[in-house]
This record gives sequence, structure tokens and C-alpha cells, in this order.
Amino acid sequence: MSVKELNISPVGRVEGDLDVKVYIDNGKVTRAHTQAAMFRGFEKIMAGKDPQSGLIVTPRICGICGGSHLYCASSALDTAWGTKLPPNALLLRAIGQATETIQSIPRWFYAIFATDLANKKYANKPLYGEVVKRWSAYVGTTFQKGLTASGLPVQVYALFGGQWPHSSYMVPGGVMCAPTLKDITRAHAIMTQFKNDWLEPIWLGCSIERYLEIKTWDDMLAWVDENDSQRNSDLGLFIRAGIEFGLDKFGQGVGKFLAYGTYLHKDHYQNPTIEGRNDALISSSGFFDGENWHEFDHLKVSEHVKHSWYDNQEDGLHPWKEPLPTPAKSQTLEDSDFDGQYSWAKAPRYDGYACETGPLARVIMNANPANKDHQINDPLFGDIIKKMGPSVFTRVLARVHEAPRLYNFINQWLSEIDLDGEFYIKPVEKDGKGFGATEAARGALAHWIEIENGVIKNYQVMAPTTWNVGPNDAEGNPGPIESALTGIDIEDPTDPVEVGIVARSFDSCLVCTVHAHDEKSGVELSKFKL
Amino acid sequence: MANVLWLQGGACSGNTMSFLNAEEPTVVELITDFGLNILWHPTTGLQIGDQVQDLLKDIIAGKVQMDILVFEGSIIQGPNGSGSMNYFADRPMKDWVKELSEVAGYVVAIGDCATWGGIPAVPPNPSDSTGMQFLKKEKGGFLGANYVSKGGLPVINVPGCPAHPDWITQILVAISVGRIGDVLIDEYHRPKTFFTDFVQTGCTNVTNFAQKVDGHFGKRSGCLFYEVGCRGPLTRASCNNILWNRQSSKTRANHPCLGCTEPGFPHHDLMKGSIFKTMKYMGVFPKEVPHGRTKLAYYMEAGFQKVMPKNHKVMEASK
Ligand code: SF4
Ligand code: SF4
Ligand SMILES: [Fe+2]
Repeated sequence: MSVKELNISPVGRVEGDLDVKVYIDNGKVTRAHTQAAMFRGFEKIMAGKDPQSGLIVTPRICGICGGSHLYCASSALDTAWGTKLPPNALLLRAIGQATETIQSIPRWFYAIFATDLANKKYANKPLYGEVVKRWSAYVGTTFQKGLTASGLPVQVYALFGGQWPHSSYMVPGGVMCAPTLKDITRAHAIMTQFKNDWLEPIWLGCSIERYLEIKTWDDMLAWVDENDSQRNSDLGLFIRAGIEFGLDKFGQGVGKFLAYGTYLHKDHYQNPTIEGRNDALISSSGFFDGENWHEFDHLKVSEHVKHSWYDNQEDGLHPWKEPLPTPAKSQTLEDSDFDGQYSWAKAPRYDGYACETGPLARVIMNANPANKDHQINDPLFGDIIKKMGPSVFTRVLARVHEAPRLYNFINQWLSEIDLDGEFYIKPVEKDGKGFGATEAARGALAHWIEIENGVIKNYQVMAPTTWNVGPNDAEGNPGPIESALTGIDIEDPTDPVEVGIVARSFDSCLVCTVHAHDEKSGVELSKFKL
Repeated sequence: MANVLWLQGGACSGNTMSFLNAEEPTVVELITDFGLNILWHPTTGLQIGDQVQDLLKDIIAGKVQMDILVFEGSIIQGPNGSGSMNYFADRPMKDWVKELSEVAGYVVAIGDCATWGGIPAVPPNPSDSTGMQFLKKEKGGFLGANYVSKGGLPVINVPGCPAHPDWITQILVAISVGRIGDVLIDEYHRPKTFFTDFVQTGCTNVTNFAQKVDGHFGKRSGCLFYEVGCRGPLTRASCNNILWNRQSSKTRANHPCLGCTEPGFPHHDLMKGSIFKTMKYMGVFPKEVPHGRTKLAYYMEAGFQKVMPKNHKVMEASK
């Protein structure tokens, strides 16, 4: 059978390319391996440098989630130096994080995910024509509107950070900016435009308030059928088409979820500590084992490297104990031995488990009955995960579900800024260890720092993509995408679009190439970019 | 009409994200109204069913014309010159770039990583990264000091970390509509149209700069040069004329300019004391003075102005 490479769809990328190799037998994926194919060594670059290096360097790890890296880098220094944070600074950091995340929702949905549903595989489905009409890349009727609207929230980011991407406005002790009334008013106006251009008329087909009344999966289904406007909105269409196309039937993953949580509350984190972080979050942290929620403890995070291209490191070390990376010899996917080292990504584990991170993990934590009053309390995904379990569909629904709430938060936080208050309290620099974390649009992101003799001794970054695309661990347990791919049915092995859809539902921020191989003969069936 | 191929090496995708923020024209308008034909792009590539590897081979064989090769990200040469720390389409990316640049009409390096190595090339440069035709200030880089594309120009450098969307789109449009002759480049191969004025031109703090009124984080008004290390007077870029995200710029948001359009960013290689602090002689005088001034002349004048009674107006700031 001839080998062919198809560029079936675009995806945003960050640390190089992701190659996915799947073996197919009788129309089913029997094994899957993920390979991250680029190394830059940022942690090595920061060693021995100014303790604030992370504020400049880490946003450049990923241009898609640079603001999230900045949120972590400043928090890590806050905990290491024991800074004081004025409420205004906490609000402005939360606004930065939220605007980056909300811009990513339409940008990701239209430019990366939805174009897939226009694949000919679904041509026989009744809703296919409508999907193609709206979501075909560039020419779809709502594609361009969504993409254009995605630039608006980051205009708000720029009002406070100067620019997006790649500002460094969050600094230990607060923020650089001291906005004025005209910045706040303009920010409200830009967000209103985002709502009026896209969020309400095109995406929801109803008011934000109406949407936020949805508390259960049955409510959601009733909402779709409530009127034509909601049924025919892009969200209404996604729900109907998603179920019609069977997206709720595959791509389950590891079934364990981890969120570090984010949006530190203005009144609960003025004295930043690692211990005080969980209770100060507005979007809560936690570990969900499929049945129960557990409190998050960063000391339970570790990384495995048995299958990663790093030498001189033990498996299962906490980031503070990890050495700086020693790159090993890498191979192309073709030449990789999956019993040995095969990826630049490490394999992160929580309490020993591979975990899915991302919007689905976040909204599951939002449903934790133990959440405090100042935290998001939204039972919807507790219900959905019980009734439907994780799948491509639930993952995407979780991603887009955040937009209306974030819109409200951004406006609320803007209105809470006290123009007479402080924005920055100059910290005293000292040696020590720090931990900073957040939720990037695509999942849990954390930085660990150790400062000694006034310079960085160790800096470890663990990105959401690493959690999701990571390889097998030392015990041979697969990473979340590897696991989500295993067992899925492939209709046409020469065009395994299902593989692409599963990988993309994780929003890995890497360009993935999927290589499909026949399990018995080992022959490569197809290869395509996604 | 121009065929564009966009590839990413040691990149964060920040320039692509910046490019997607383009408004005049938007990315869609570039394609529909300005005659750009994107052969492939890692994020927005669309040729469903196209065979990327075959496309690259066809370009190299001359079967497909590539008018512009856009490169984002550093050229990763490690380890030991093999380039195996960055594979793309089953080969080291650097090998593709070498062959593609031989057939390119024009080569445009976007962002600091592609222009002069950027952050990946900060010592110890773990991936042995370099820029397309420079490594920091030094000419050469990956393609060599003498490289010229088929169109007769060396690599056109659009620096910035990231580059502003307008800097990117306008250069692509200039090539596409046949105005490349109007694009003059400076000693670092930057289009002069964007990189002649300094960031300070148009900065809202410039009166405070002249009057030596210090700015600080979390404070309104005041110039960021004296305490928090602003590089606006040393950095050529249009950030305060062509605003970012239509709204602002670093220095307008009280964020010191990091000098990201000058070779060598991050300056001083992140050494202790170099970040958000003005590095000083004898604890008083800035080590680096505005462009075009001798240190002595600058210090004398600055010292004089510092003791002059301050103009109250410039220190006034209001919420
Ligand atoms: S803040 Fe920076 S760019 Fe603005 S006037 Fe001062 S030194 Fe110049
Ligand atoms: S203000 Fe300075 S650091 Fe910021 S983008 Fe412009 S040149 Fe770069
Ligand atoms: Fe990312």
C-alpha cells in the first residue's frame, strides 16, 4: 500500500512538531505512541541567570499561552520571595489570564477543531451541509467572524500589558501598569463588542444570562430545543452535529483529571504562599479519579523520563528535585524504538497517575461540591461526566462552555479595580523555592523555581501539552492522548480522520503528524498532518 | 501574486499568533485581496489532502514556484551539527531550509529567533540555535554572510519578539504587489520603514524622559529609562507609532521596552541584575545611554537637568 501524507487540517503549535504513530488492526487502533520532535532547552538557558529571567523567557516557550506562562512565572517568584500583592494586581493578572483564554476559544474552535467536521467522512450525515457552510476554513460563514472576534479580548490584554502576545507585565509584587479610567472604560467597550459581534448572536443565540442557567445535561438539551435561535446558533449546531457524528462515542482517555486551578482572588492571596493557594483560587484545583475529587498538592507531581530523550535522571522525581535536562540522542519516528526513548516530552504523573488536563478537567473541578463560596460552583460537568463520560464531544463542550462565564468575570474584575489603590509593592529579593501555577487555555501549567546565591539554580516548567502528549511512564502506562487513541474504530485506514479528531480535541498546541501502521505487517498505511 | 511557504523551526508560534491578530489587512484579506497564496503554514495551512513532504520536494525541484519563504523560529543545529533536535517531515528542519532557500524568490525571517537566534541562542545555547543570516550581531548565521535569494536580496529580517503583525503583512504585500524595490534594509537587514525611528518616538513618557522624571512599576507617568531599564532610546522599532493590538505599546502600559528588535535580545544574556533594572555605573549613571550620544555628554547634561527645578506639569498624572 502506498504511503501518503495528507495535510488534513491546521493546528496551532508550540514546541515543535508532534508525531503520532498508531497501529491499526481490523479497523481498530491497537497501540499509539506520541513523539514531540523539538528541543530548545529553556530550563538550561535560565540556570545561573537573573531570578526574574522567567518573566521574559517563559512566555516565549509558547506564543499561544504566553500570558499563562507569565502568570506562573510571577507567582513562582511571589512565593519564593514572599511578596505582598495588592488586590488590583491580582485582578489585573486574572484579567490577563482570562482574556488570553477567552480569545483562544473561538480561535481554537474555528481554526483548529471545527474544520475537521467538514471532512468527507461525515458527508452522509444530515447536518453535514450546514457544518460545511459555516465552518469550512476561511470560506465558512461564521469562520471568519469567530476568527476576527478572537482578536478583541487580547486588545484588552494589550491595554494592561502593552501587547499580546509576549508581554511581561506581571511581576513579583504586582503588575507594571497603573491603568486609568479611560483604560477601564475602553476595556469594557472592547469586551462588549466581543459579545455583540460573536458571543451572543453567533455562538449562543441567546443572552449570557440565559445560557448560564444550564445546570445539567438535560437542561442543555432542553436549551438547544428551546427556540430556533439557540438551535441554530453555532453552539446549538455543534451539540446537534457532535452527537449526530458520534463524537460522544470515542476518545475517552485516561479518565483521571488534574487541574491546578487559576484566578487568584483579590482578597484571598495578598500574602502569596504555596499552602494558601488552593483556597484562594476562583477556578478550583483538584484531582478527580473518575469518581471522587481530591485536594491538589503540588508535591504529588512528578515526571518520568524512561521514554524521553533525557539522560542522567531518575524516574518519578518532583520538579524541585529534577536535574537540568541532559539531552539524549534522538531519532526520527521511523527509527524510534518505543521500548526505549522516543520523545522530547517527559511523562508527568500525579500521585503516579497519567492525567488529562484542560478545560474538561477544569469544569469537573468547578462541579466539586466542596468548592467554597468565592469559587466557581457549576454542577454541569459533574452531571455530564456521570451521564456520558469523557469523549471528544465532552472535551470540546467543556472548552467552549467557559466563554460566557469568563466574559462575565472579565467585566466584573474590571469593575473591581480601585483606581486609587496600589498596583505594585516592591518586593525584597531573596533565595528560596517557589511554585506558580495556572490554567492555560489548554490545561494545567506550572513553574517551579529554586534561587540560590541570587541566581536561578533550577527552573522547571511543566506545560499542559506535556501532560497530554507525554509518552509512556516507567511502568509502561500510556499518556492521555496515547490512551485516548487506543481502541478507537477507524473507518478508512488510509484516512484515519478519527485519530486527528481525538488528538485535536486535546488542543495540544503542536503540529501533529499522524502515522498509521498496519499492526501485523508494520506497513505504513497513511500519514497526514493535522 | 506570490506563493508563500511558512515554516517554523525552534519557535514558540508567537509570530504566527501575532500575524493572526493582523487587521489591516487581515490574514483572510491577504489571501483574498492581496494575492498571497499560502502554499503551507503550520497553523493555517489548508490544502486538505496536500502532501507536505511532496510539496517541499516539488518546490526544491522547481516544479512549484515559491516566491517567499517565511521562516519563524531559530535554526536548530544541535547536537553536533546534526539538527536532530528539530525534525520536520522526517528530516532535520535545517536541511529543508538549506535547500528551500536556494530556490526561494525572497527569504523573510520573522521574529528574533529566525533573525538572530533569539532566546534559544542565549548561552549555553543548548540546541545550538542560530538565526537565518545572523547570530546576534554577527553576520553569517545559518545561510552565511554572502547568501542572496533569487530575487537578489539577502534574508529580509523582520525582528521582534514577536514581530508586530503589520511589519509582517506589509513586507509580504510589498513583495506580492511588486514594491519590494521600495523596501530598503539596514545593516541588520531590517526594513528601514519600520526600524529607523526609535521606540521612544511617540512614547507618551518622552517629556518625562527629557525632564528626568523617574517612572516606576505601578505608578502613573514617569519615564522608565532611569530605574527599570527601558531600552526605548536604544531600540529601533515603530511600537509607539503603529500600536500593538490597536491599543497600546509596552512603554505606554508602563512596561520597559526590552529592546526586542535589536540583535542581542535578551540583552546581557539575562545576567543577574539585568532584568527590569537600569544597570548603572557607580550606582548613579545608566551604563547604556541613548543612541547617538557620548556617555560623557549625556551624563553632564543629565546631571544638570536632575538638579534643575522640576516642571510640575510633567509630574502630574491622573487616574
Ligand atoms: S519610557 Fe522608555 S521609550 Fe518612553 S520615554 Fe522613557 S525611555 Fe523613552
Ligand atoms: S517596545 Fe521594545 S520590547 Fe516591546 S515590542 Fe517594541 S521593541 Fe520590542
Ligand atoms: Fe502551549
